[in-house]
Amino acid sequence: MKYPQALQELIDEFSFIDDKMEILEYVYELSEEVVEFPIANWSEKTRIIGCQSEAHLEVVVKDGIVELRCGADSKIVQGMMGLVTIAINGRTAEDVLQLKPDFAQEMGILNSLSPSRSNGFRNLFDKVMLEIRIKQ
Amino acid sequence: MSLKDDFPILSREVNGHPLVYLDNAATTQKPQVVIDAMSQYYSNSNANVHRAVHTLAGEATEGYEDCRRWIKSWFNAEKAILTGGTTEAINLVAHGWGRANLQAGDAIVLTEMEHHSDIVPWQILSEERGIEIRYVPVLDDFTLDMEAYIASLENAKLVCVVHTSNVLGVRNPVDELISLAHKAGAKILIDAAQAVPHDRIDFEQFNADFMAFSAHKMCGPTGIGALLVKNDAFEQMQPFMGGGDMIESVTTSGSTYQKNEHKFEAGTPKIAEAVGWSAAFDWMSKIDLPAHHERLLNIAKWTAEQLRGLGFTVYGRHQSGDGAVVSFLHPTIHSEDFARFLDAKGFAVRTGHHCAQPLLNRLGITGTIRASFYLYNTQDEAEKFIQIVQYIVEKFA
Repeated sequence: MKYPQALQELIDEFSFIDDKMEILEYVYELSEEVVEFPIANWSEKTRIIGCQSEAHLEVVVKDGIVELRCGADSKIVQGMMGLVTIAINGRTAEDVLQLKPDFAQEMGILNSLSPSRSNGFRNLFDKVMLEIRIKQ
Repeated sequence: MSLKDDFPILSREVNGHPLVYLDNAATTQKPQVVIDAMSQYYSNSNANVHRAVHTLAGEATEGYEDCRRWIKSWFNAEKAILTGGTTEAINLVAHGWGRANLQAGDAIVLTEMEHHSDIVPWQILSEERGIEIRYVPVLDDFTLDMEAYIASLENAKLVCVVHTSNVLGVRNPVDELISLAHKAGAKILIDAAQAVPHDRIDFEQFNADFMAFSAHKMCGPTGIGALLVKNDAFEQMQPFMGGGDMIESVTTSGSTYQKNEHKFEAGTPKIAEAVGWSAAFDWMSKIDLPAHHERLLNIAKWTAEQLRGLGFTVYGRHQSGDGAVVSFLHPTIHSEDFARFLDAKGFAVRTGHHCAQPLLNRLGITGTIRASFYLYNTQDEAEKFIQIVQYIVEKFA
């Protein structure tokens, strides 16, 4: 599928990295890309169920434009949130809802995208999409 | 030729590095003989057990019952019910013995150290029957509060306790727990899932009423386990699953049941898995288990000391008889991140609550990183593990 430019650039960059450790280091750095969601606002409602880490998010849709605010105690999980932030923030809800989670697998970040309880990324992605659908 | 060569999976690479498998408390790897036995069964002898007179059915029945013979002989037990694993075995006690013998107001004793599989079945029964559950606390030195245990036994009907903790590796004083339970007039169930891979328990001498364990933690296949039961407890059990194979006769007005273990094995059983488990017993019979356990415990102890030196908190004590399990946490690097970095270097460890949330609540944490060692692991692997851990700490802490 055709990805938004910023995400496509990231996918291309990841495609040059073979070493899993380097991929994880890169994801670790992406944890800086999130729009902060203060811990004081974390609640059961904002929690991503199924993550081993404490991971929380809220989605704001203003004038049809999406903004994801999020955070996690695991830097790698927050890095994956940073990846989703790059993929969706500033885009229209209509566009974002076309996105599929497969890009994380294409980038070699995840071994599996099956929606099991331990698959934090899939649960993160599904929660973001659900919130956008509710709020658009 | 090293013992490792018997396990084909251990020669593979993960993320470009040789696999070092340290998630043995979750499941162990299978030697080639187990894989071959299961494949050979499906290639050559596949049939349903117990009923048909044809040759294949005879071979399948022999294969299935041979596993029961192995279990009885390995553990010196008179009754061995084949189940889907430890969880199903405990559920069989809850529903097969508990429903027939526990009433509203009766008390059962669990500990804070239990795996969820030894908590949830009792909570379900408690809600259904109004049974009181008492939990024995875990002390700061990771042992059970024995004073509280003794107090909890008053008028208790059943004690359910883990032999060796899957999180801490701590071996509980099972002989004392069994003896005290019996003195108080209670029956006792031992969850031996983490014990049997390392310790060849003599069930008769052990004197517990029930003992549950799984094949897959001792080189056997997944999907099969056993419940050992003393004769008097066996007579008090009622089947909770009805169906084929467990009956003597069925009429429209009612059914009568088999008198032996088949009474609790309704439906087509785990035949290929039983054949695989027999092969695992045969393979393990050639291993000096006590010597390996001592070796592995020393590796675990050494690993724990190194981790403490690197600033980790280690949850466990690694005393004689304990499991070769090291649970640890870094003060700043999240356990899930740590496990992903280790995986990137070929090391398989477990993170999370290890299905023991009450214990982790007691310890004031939500999860640990757990490295658990088994027969094929070596000191050299532990040293490489510590080198990678040190690298991760230096880079990300």
